Amino acid sequence: MNAVYDIRDLTVDLYTRSAAVRVVDGVSLSVAAGECLAIVGESGSGKTVMSFAPIGLMPEGVSVGLSGGAQLAGADLIGGDEAALARLRGREVAVIFQDPMTALNPARRIGSQIAEVCTLHLGLKGAAAEARALELMRLVGISDPEARLRQYPHELSGGLCQRVVIAMAIAAEPKLLIADEPTTALDVTVQAQILDLLRDLRARMGMAMILITHDIGVVANAADRVAVMYAGRLAEVGPVDQVLRAPTHPYTRALIDAIPRPEDPVGSPFRGLPGMPPQLAGPIGGCAFAPRCPRATPGCATLRPPMRAVAGTPGWQAACHHLTLAVIPKGAAA
Amino acid sequence: MTTPVLEVRNLVTHFRSVERGKTIKAVDGVSLHLNAGEIVGLIGESGCGKSTLSRSIVGLATPNSGQIVLDGTDLSTLRGSALRRTRSAIQYVFQDPYSSLNNRQTIGEALEEALVIAGLPAERRGARTTELLDHVGLPAAIAPRYGRELSGGQRQRVAIARALAMNPRVLIADEPVSALDLSVRAQVMNLFFDLSRNLGVACLLVAHDLALVRQAASRNYVMYLGKIVEEGASTQLYGDPRHPYSRALLASAPSPDPVAERARPRVPLTGELPSPTNPPSGCRFRTRCPVAQAACTATLPPPVEVATGHRAACLFEGA
Amino acid sequence: MTVFLNSARPLRVSPGLALWIVAGFLFLGLFGPWLVPHDPLKQNLLAAGQGPGLVHWLGTDHLGRDTFSRLIAAANTSLVGITLVLGIALIIGIGLGTLAGYRRGWTEEAIMRVTDVGLAMPSLIIALAMIGIFGTGYWNMVIALALAWWPSFCRVSRAVVVGVMNKPHIEALRVMGASPLRIFFVHLLPTTTGSVLVYATADAGGLALSIATLSFLGLGIQPPTPEWGQMLVDSLPYLEGDPRQVILPGLALTLVVVAFNFLGEAIALNRVPRPLGRRLLARRRAEAAAWDRPPRGLVTGEKA
Repeated sequence: MNAVYDIRDLTVDLYTRSAAVRVVDGVSLSVAAGECLAIVGESGSGKTVMSFAPIGLMPEGVSVGLSGGAQLAGADLIGGDEAALARLRGREVAVIFQDPMTALNPARRIGSQIAEVCTLHLGLKGAAAEARALELMRLVGISDPEARLRQYPHELSGGLCQRVVIAMAIAAEPKLLIADEPTTALDVTVQAQILDLLRDLRARMGMAMILITHDIGVVANAADRVAVMYAGRLAEVGPVDQVLRAPTHPYTRALIDAIPRPEDPVGSPFRGLPGMPPQLAGPIGGCAFAPRCPRATPGCATLRPPMRAVAGTPGWQAACHHLTLAVIPKGAAA
Repeated sequence: MTTPVLEVRNLVTHFRSVERGKTIKAVDGVSLHLNAGEIVGLIGESGCGKSTLSRSIVGLATPNSGQIVLDGTDLSTLRGSALRRTRSAIQYVFQDPYSSLNNRQTIGEALEEALVIAGLPAERRGARTTELLDHVGLPAAIAPRYGRELSGGQRQRVAIARALAMNPRVLIADEPVSALDLSVRAQVMNLFFDLSRNLGVACLLVAHDLALVRQAASRNYVMYLGKIVEEGASTQLYGDPRHPYSRALLASAPSPDPVAERARPRVPLTGELPSPTNPPSGCRFRTRCPVAQAACTATLPPPVEVATGHRAACLFEGA
Repeated sequence: MTVFLNSARPLRVSPGLALWIVAGFLFLGLFGPWLVPHDPLKQNLLAAGQGPGLVHWLGTDHLGRDTFSRLIAAANTSLVGITLVLGIALIIGIGLGTLAGYRRGWTEEAIMRVTDVGLAMPSLIIALAMIGIFGTGYWNMVIALALAWWPSFCRVSRAVVVGVMNKPHIEALRVMGASPLRIFFVHLLPTTTGSVLVYATADAGGLALSIATLSFLGLGIQPPTPEWGQMLVDSLPYLEGDPRQVILPGLALTLVVVAFNFLGEAIALNRVPRPLGRRLLARRRAEAAAWDRPPRGLVTGEKA
């Protein structure tokens, strides 16, 4: 498989005034061209940091320690200089955020904002940049693009703004698109349209995509594979059909079980998980999920479970001592 | 038939638009009612007016006309402190648990203040604070801590405890769990069941997560561009939606099962939500409706009773 | 403007130094009257115009008054002046600004239009006009400056309140039926006061300068009360013969004004997260590195 983006045993530490915390702990993942990998996890699970730290996108004033490997289209991301990373951003890897309104400059016309990106990444000037802007507007399915180019962000709906943001992101035909909750701020009726657009663009441009979300419905709709994170570690990774329909890790199982189902009787209590996720600190000795896990045994608290292949499906792995299926140890995390 | 705790009659709330001379018709003639101990869902897309409606009921937005009747008292007849005292029986739970608590106050101070406002004598406040925290499943030891030290789920429960300090008859929750993680949503949602069943509080659950509302609410209102287009019991509405908008809305909800999700028929709603400054004439949904006809332009369809308690405002209801 | 800021960058005073200067000013301002080695008002024409010495550390002025004592006493004059003006201006500004942001509607319109007029004119011009109308005198100066200074506090307070009023925690109070007085005094005023005080720190320097300017012009603090601006104008005729008499009060004033400005800026910038210092970063790195070492490696002992 030709991985466009490949991270190996990635560990991210954040250094704050009060402590050092490990937010991502030995995660290995890869995304192939044209593939969509969804990363699912709750707040504090490290899914955002894991996706953005290797490409050098962290909030200002945060000190980060990265170890492990991260390669984008064959180029090493970790240990390289900041300027090289900055050149990569926008050209090789592009990002879409949750709220399209904050991603756009409210005081400038849509057209000039898209054209500016074309100038920046493609070196196009004047009329050529505007022509490319128009082409991109058509590509992301905006009707009447000539008129829209002259409008301001506040004149467009949230769905249209997200299309504009997508147009800006794909301007340089990046190899990887990282979409952080791209549909959370949108209505369900618009959500499906945006996901369809992203799928279409991916197929057309052979672009790999990382979709960060907490919405399992979005994963089911848009992703080929899904990685479930808990407390900075990978709990389970595999094709969506397997992981979402027959989860093997107790955390994945509990997460999917917590979604209300159409067959639940009206007025019946909601299912959830007991307890709370662990506080961010140093690496956890055993399995991070053990304190909340219904299947935990004393050994779980002391020994960290490695990622093991779930038999029968290539690429399906879970980190649990109690995988009931036959397991073939593979690539144990250090 | 029981008299409802809260009755909203023909409520209209308009805003001045940023564009000169235009008005945003956020809520345009809405009537609904809540019975004691009942959880009622209010669903619709953002911009449909559901937030403005709930804010108008609690007094955070000023309605232009219409009545809000609480336990038989029309709130528009009251003024000043009498209005504040009476209306405090309707409480509100905000979407964002991170900004609904004052960062300068501890949990105990926030609840204490609510009890002061509720007029509870000083000597009973301490015990009542513990009782309130216990009600929402939090230990009393949490009282001296600041809101920022708590998780989102805990904060939301504190916000609910604070609302309970007012001994509410009605609780309006605007997207109470959408900012929370999936695994802790259940704790908060089950709390609403507890409040409605054990304290007889009527809850209006405003949300966009249809599966969540279906399971929690016994009755529902569907809102589109400032109007109620359909109402009915959960079994009726989710099993047999009659208004074309309700159908489109339900059909667009994604399924967490990838196989079912792929098989789900795509019912793309054409076009965008029209501007509430200039809503379409006649039926407001006609510009995006798959079954719209010429007649829809002329008349605003009245709600038609299709089954007991199930009403849809469509000329071709059932078509 | 940018050019100016860029060229000014190398001059940036560390917030620590600014804090020490301001602390020194406050200390001398508060306890100056008890610290002075000589009576700052006592003239001794026999000792006029002396240079620094053992008796008079910084020498004496043309009337033989001890310069060191006068400089310290002037700090007291300045501090009392600043405190009075800021006190009055803050009460008016925060009160009206908070009210405008809370009430909105015509109350806000009326208050903010007056504020706009006040902000449109340089504060010193307003103060001069006031003094022109009411005449010179200590209290006239204080009131004139306060009336010139409140509009900026009013504007800041209103902006803070308008921002806070839409926050769910204030809306929750309204839903609970909290009285407007409770919301105003218990929740809004403390919030605005906090924000405005930061702003006022930077303004204190400008105010010290204005008091000195008015006194220099003979419209503020009247002789013989020691005051830096007044000391400047007093010793101006002797500039060529004894420049020390002009330089010292000028230097004192400049230090205080600059220190207040840098402190105000430092407080404002403090809200922006900054990267860790080199030493703290190294410590955190060592902490994190210890996690990855096999347990036995811990024997080497990490400095905590």
